[in-house]
Amino acid sequence: MTQKKLKNIMIFSLLTLLAVMFIIPFLWILSTSLKPESAVFSFQWLPETWKFDNYLKVFEKIPFLLYMKNSIVISLITIIGTVLSSSIVAYAFGCLEWPGRNTIFIFVIATMMLPLQVIMIPLFIMFKELGWLNTIKPLTIPAFFGGGAFNIFLLRQFFKSIPKSLLDAARIDGCSEFRIYWSIVIPLAKPALATVAILTFMFTWNDFLGPLIYLSEKAQGTLALGIAQYAGQMNPEYSVLMAASVLMMLPVIIIFFLFQRYFIQAFTMSGIKE
Amino acid sequence: MTNILEYIKHPLKRKQALAGYLFISPWIIGFLVFGIYPICMSVYYSLCQYDVLRIPQFIGFRNYSDLLFNDNYFWGSIWNTLFFTVIRVPLVIIGSLLLAVLVNNAIKGVKIFRTIYFIPSIITGVILSSLWLWMLNPQYGLINSMLAYIGIDGPLWLNDPNWSKPSIIMMSLWSIGGARMLVFLAALQSVPQHLYESVELEGGNWWHKFKHITLPLISPIIFLWSILEVIVSMQVFIEAYIMTKGGPLNSTLFYNLYLYNKAFDDFEMGYASAMAWILFIITMIITVIQFKGSKRWVYYEGEGAK
Amino acid sequence: MRKHIAKILLLPLAAYLMYALFASPHTVVDDGKIHVRYWFVSGPEEVIPYRVTQFNKTHDDIFVDATPIPWNEHEKKVLTAILSGNPPDVVSLIAPVQQWASRMSLRPLDKLIEQDDFDTSYVFPALWEEVNYEGHVFAIPTHTASYAFFYNKKLFRNAGLDPENPPNTWDEVREYSKKLTRMDDGDYTQIGFIPAYGNLQVSVLLANELGAKFLSDDGKTVHLDNEQMVQSLEWILDYYSDYDFDKLISFQSGFGYADQHGFLAEKVAMMILDHTFLDGIDIYKPELDFGVSAIPSFEGYETSSSTGNWWMAIPRGAKNVKAAWEFMQFAVSYEVQVKEATLMKQRLMPANINAAKDTALTNNKKFYNVLIEQMQYAKTPSIVPLVNGTFWREFTFAQERVIRHIQPPRQSLAQGNKVIQAELIRAKEYDIYVRQNMELEEYQ
Repeated sequence: MTQKKLKNIMIFSLLTLLAVMFIIPFLWILSTSLKPESAVFSFQWLPETWKFDNYLKVFEKIPFLLYMKNSIVISLITIIGTVLSSSIVAYAFGCLEWPGRNTIFIFVIATMMLPLQVIMIPLFIMFKELGWLNTIKPLTIPAFFGGGAFNIFLLRQFFKSIPKSLLDAARIDGCSEFRIYWSIVIPLAKPALATVAILTFMFTWNDFLGPLIYLSEKAQGTLALGIAQYAGQMNPEYSVLMAASVLMMLPVIIIFFLFQRYFIQAFTMSGIKE
Repeated sequence: MTNILEYIKHPLKRKQALAGYLFISPWIIGFLVFGIYPICMSVYYSLCQYDVLRIPQFIGFRNYSDLLFNDNYFWGSIWNTLFFTVIRVPLVIIGSLLLAVLVNNAIKGVKIFRTIYFIPSIITGVILSSLWLWMLNPQYGLINSMLAYIGIDGPLWLNDPNWSKPSIIMMSLWSIGGARMLVFLAALQSVPQHLYESVELEGGNWWHKFKHITLPLISPIIFLWSILEVIVSMQVFIEAYIMTKGGPLNSTLFYNLYLYNKAFDDFEMGYASAMAWILFIITMIITVIQFKGSKRWVYYEGEGAK
Repeated sequence: MRKHIAKILLLPLAAYLMYALFASPHTVVDDGKIHVRYWFVSGPEEVIPYRVTQFNKTHDDIFVDATPIPWNEHEKKVLTAILSGNPPDVVSLIAPVQQWASRMSLRPLDKLIEQDDFDTSYVFPALWEEVNYEGHVFAIPTHTASYAFFYNKKLFRNAGLDPENPPNTWDEVREYSKKLTRMDDGDYTQIGFIPAYGNLQVSVLLANELGAKFLSDDGKTVHLDNEQMVQSLEWILDYYSDYDFDKLISFQSGFGYADQHGFLAEKVAMMILDHTFLDGIDIYKPELDFGVSAIPSFEGYETSSSTGNWWMAIPRGAKNVKAAWEFMQFAVSYEVQVKEATLMKQRLMPANINAAKDTALTNNKKFYNVLIEQMQYAKTPSIVPLVNGTFWREFTFAQERVIRHIQPPRQSLAQGNKVIQAELIRAKEYDIYVRQNMELEEYQ
């Protein structure tokens, strides 16, 4: 057996071992979603009777499709806003030099540290003054203004790793900064941008507190809110709740799986110089 | 930090600076509109007695002094939170990194493995907590059943004041395949291949590659995550809120949980605001320390010499 | 080819997203009726309650627009709604009324009650106490939960105890419990009675039975460590000495919900439960052979109980007050309460006394009467209005310290009391300040 083959086998076994450990939570959720309600809290793995109709019940208990549409709309808008604005801001911090840069960057980091619970109330009052209550504006428009300190930080770290010589060469050639940003840095940072997109998607998809306080109309609800509302009832059917969670997790899992292709190629920096 | 005059004089530098200001304007506007107002109000509230439903009453620094000197739970909750942070952050970062290295192999089916590792990280807090209440159940839970299999009498986990925090830390380990791993993976993928080749030419093995090429080049990302993880860990809340409510014997009364109790159970928004600002200061201090330390081990390819 | 399709789809998608982003909020349909917005904490059923559908059927001029809100986080939602200045017109909530009333967030109903000559005797007296604060009525009770002593007849027989003779005093409970406890291989498999299991705080119940007074008459001083409470905790501590604490905790942690509940799983032989368990047993463990009796008391003292509290109120700042009030009166009327009771799966007890007595039930009617009896002795769990959250939290910590042998009862309660007292002083000062400075004519 060649060295490489041996190495591959070892890696594969390790991957499999870990996979067993990581799949357990999901298996439990899956198994509970198929159990009859009375058996939900029993400590057995396989349901005695497989109740696939729990999945159908989900659509009865929650306006699933409507909420899904709302979740998708909010997520899409937020992702677009976040990716665009955080990348351009990160470019300013990571690739440009200007007076005050480091000081302002400290402010950016600082905004990550304030616990949400307490800004929540003044922020709510402010949105009320703006007349944005009962719309999706509070959930989406802030994304276009910087996209969040974390994303800026993340992209800045990536951008900083791009050789300065590359950028300087383009500057000497007469390229505008925007052109450099758009044509050189963005393509190079695809994995990073894809990551920001996925992270933003994950966050908005699962966010329930925002929709809770800003969307009062039943028709505006999102999936996360719908599930939280169902879980928050006095006696929810846990099996149906688990089924709903599975359905809600599926899009995220599928998108994650598909986005993998951005991570397969290992591109090289030196290739750019040609 | 170069002189401002330099920026004004040299055309190339000026062009960069102007572009800089232009490009960060979205954030500046956002910060002024969505940041400054809530922050200022929050500071004001921290100096008041305020229950949200009525008007604030200015009481100066009484909230702060009560917190620091008259509060039975303040120091305990800080200890709980720091304990949690200090143990969790290294575990989780090293775990994610190793996992990322592992799945960075173009092996058959690696996409599926990555997805499997990813899944636990997107399970929402409510569901996750009921899941773990089940797994950690001392009598019938999966963990203790498996331990019993190999002859160990498992502890009471969430019901034991000594094991409650470790239980929650353990839960975090399941999320190492999530966003973090993804980001590390992206970082690993952007390391230029030819650098590895040059190490091989000089006779180095995988450890040399890792230590001299990989680690330095992805150190910016590791640094980012260590900052972020500290911030996130200091704000730990949902697990304790759902599973233990701070018990047993306040062993899981984390700072943010205590803050939440004060804000929404006791309607003490002023007190809670003061707590938030103290947390901010503490986190700020830790972050500054991390930044200062970063000069020693973080390496930026863009700026450093090759 | 694919790229072209993608590009073509991009434009309408972008247009749709822009539309979604800037679409104005849902506007109200103009049908000439007064629209009453009603938020209710989703009860056992998530469907729109009967009271709403029936009201809308029978009233041409008013339409009730009902929205369920999740039980967890409902405080935040109502809070932000009142803050926004545009709250719903009526809410059905569960939290102690006084938590909201003491913060001026509910509209006093006295004038409305007077104007419509509303008969306030419809409700159990204990519940009426709950919705009163400083001489004003802030809500009307709609439902409650009543507690009684449940015991497992089969386990009684197995232990040689007479299943028709449940314990009357707490000392008897203690004796019976010892007989009803079984161990297997060093671990518990069955316990008679566990004081700190269940959502009723047994130690507070005991203190109430002994006549404890937690709050001074002027509402300024709190006494968590009053004599009766100390006695109660000492009794409980003594009770626990009959058992191995660690093993007990381990055993208790194996209890869950539904048919895994300690009592339903027949692992606990005696327990104080609320009446919804009558239905719960029917659903999850119909074969359970059990009995219901009055809650035991100490020798020479009267029994006591507690209440759950579901109520309706009008938030401060609501617009359609008269219409809302009409709806509320309708909701607690005899007919509506009876009909609603028959429609629920795990029934809450109607607050309307007559409705409660007449609600058609299953074969559990004789037990149900016990529960109605117990309402006579019930005391509200809102002991210290302004600082309810702190009170119960400190109490829980104090009790925990006691039963885990960290601190003896008197000291533990005194420690907790200091915190509550400090909080109460703060809240009172703030209250005075607000009354002097806030412009609220009757919370209009």
